[in-house]
Amino acid sequence: MFAPGAGVNPTKTTSHKVIIPFYVYASLSFVAGCVLLFASSASFTGPHFQPHLLAVTHVMALGWGSMMILGASHQLVPVLIEGKLYSNTLAYLSFALAGVGIILMVWAFYHFDFGLAAQVGSLMILGAFLSYLVNIIVSMSKANHTNVHATFVLAGTLWMILTISLGVLLIFNFNYNLLSFSSVTYLPLHAHLGIIGWFLMLVLGVGSRLIPMFLISKYSNEKRLWLIFYLVNAGLLLFYASFIVKRVQSLYILSSLMIVSAIVLFIQFAFKAYKARIRKAVDPQVKIALGSSWMMLLPAIVLGMVFATSVLSVYFEKLVLIYGFCIFFGWISAIIFGMTFKTLPFILWNKKFHQKAGIARTPNPKELFSQPVFRIMVGFYFTGFVIFITGILLANVIVLQTGAALLIVCAVLFNLNVFKMLRYKS
Amino acid sequence: MNEITNNPDMCEKALDVLHEVIDPEIGLNVVDLGLIYQLDFDTEEKVVYCTMTLTTQFCPMGESIQDGVTNCLQFNFPEYRADIKLTFDPPWSMEKISPEGLDWLNGGSRF
Repeated sequence: MFAPGAGVNPTKTTSHKVIIPFYVYASLSFVAGCVLLFASSASFTGPHFQPHLLAVTHVMALGWGSMMILGASHQLVPVLIEGKLYSNTLAYLSFALAGVGIILMVWAFYHFDFGLAAQVGSLMILGAFLSYLVNIIVSMSKANHTNVHATFVLAGTLWMILTISLGVLLIFNFNYNLLSFSSVTYLPLHAHLGIIGWFLMLVLGVGSRLIPMFLISKYSNEKRLWLIFYLVNAGLLLFYASFIVKRVQSLYILSSLMIVSAIVLFIQFAFKAYKARIRKAVDPQVKIALGSSWMMLLPAIVLGMVFATSVLSVYFEKLVLIYGFCIFFGWISAIIFGMTFKTLPFILWNKKFHQKAGIARTPNPKELFSQPVFRIMVGFYFTGFVIFITGILLANVIVLQTGAALLIVCAVLFNLNVFKMLRYKS
Repeated sequence: MNEITNNPDMCEKALDVLHEVIDPEIGLNVVDLGLIYQLDFDTEEKVVYCTMTLTTQFCPMGESIQDGVTNCLQFNFPEYRADIKLTFDPPWSMEKISPEGLDWLNGGSRF
């Protein structure tokens, strides 16, 4: 029987007004990142530390990847913690600070100017993530219970705060010599704290909840997820400690192996969820999100090649460039393609058709965007991605620009579909 | 399982019309998904009571699905007021999906 007289109020989801600005900013940043990639193609024939590459990396990491994650997580965290988002105002504050801070910082990096714009921009981004952290912590403390997924999000945010704090320090160090070494020395640490600590942790935590949900799968394995959590965090702590205390390559390799093992365990988790799914048909958005799990291994393979290559080798710089490109234009972009078109249509459907549910024919959320445009976008994406990597290997500007041009088309198609959803008339 | 406690004809009709309320994420209607637990028609007070659940307590589409059920019942039974109670005791599980629902999820024909 059912609980007599039980009446539970449905959860109020986070308002679309909070979330949509993040999605729009991220979508436009993707176009900006691809245009900058095209304009900076020649930089991909030289060493990896260059102003234009710094700008492209930060547009992709912050404007595209992080803004999309912030937008989605303001919607998903309440689902993960089974509670409400604490404050919409803090969410708006995060958006405003990050939105302005990213523009200032990217402009400064592009012009290789670490003055006021870079300093203020980086502090604003730190403020944005601190607002997000407070919002998440208070939301979790007010919720009925937390779980492994929410713990991934919280730990990921803490790593991101550390990443940005180090980034701020590196920017100030350019002008004030605060550290014992040059800022460039600390870049691998800054980059990996962000890539592994923020992006990987968020993808693992949220993905392990959403993949079984979207597949309608019976599979769950919390023990495995905790093991993944400890492997990533222990690997990252080891990397951090060995970087700060004593740089020993064997410790870097050990920390990399721990993180790669976690990725392999996650891929196995996703595969088992896929095998145990009840819904047999898998839509293209979930397919690309599942495919992006495999794309996590690509940077890991390239990293193995970097370890195996001498710094003096002609291939070293190319491999480092390919490694970064595979992360931001490969894995992170692919997962965003899948997840944007699995989350945004529902957020907008809720807004536009909420009142009509049950009394009039309402479109399926999938009908809010164009499936053919999505497929064409994926085609341009993979072709551009492969051609650009070929361009790095050949150090050929024409090939690099061809790959970047295809990625611009992909970004425009992505935006067409996002704005089609936003403008959909109910 | 869907449970009908009185007025079987009215409840059968209500279950029939509730096939029109779709879980937007899964694409399956709330009846075959097993979200409707209980229906009662109070013919004197003119209230239709519906006890239902969601696939997860904090389903992002939960509010829309619950509103869909309310809208549907009030639209099809205009003389009645719909009183929806959400419960998670017992919680929804995949075993609650009807054979027709499972067939549809496995790629069978839409009904």
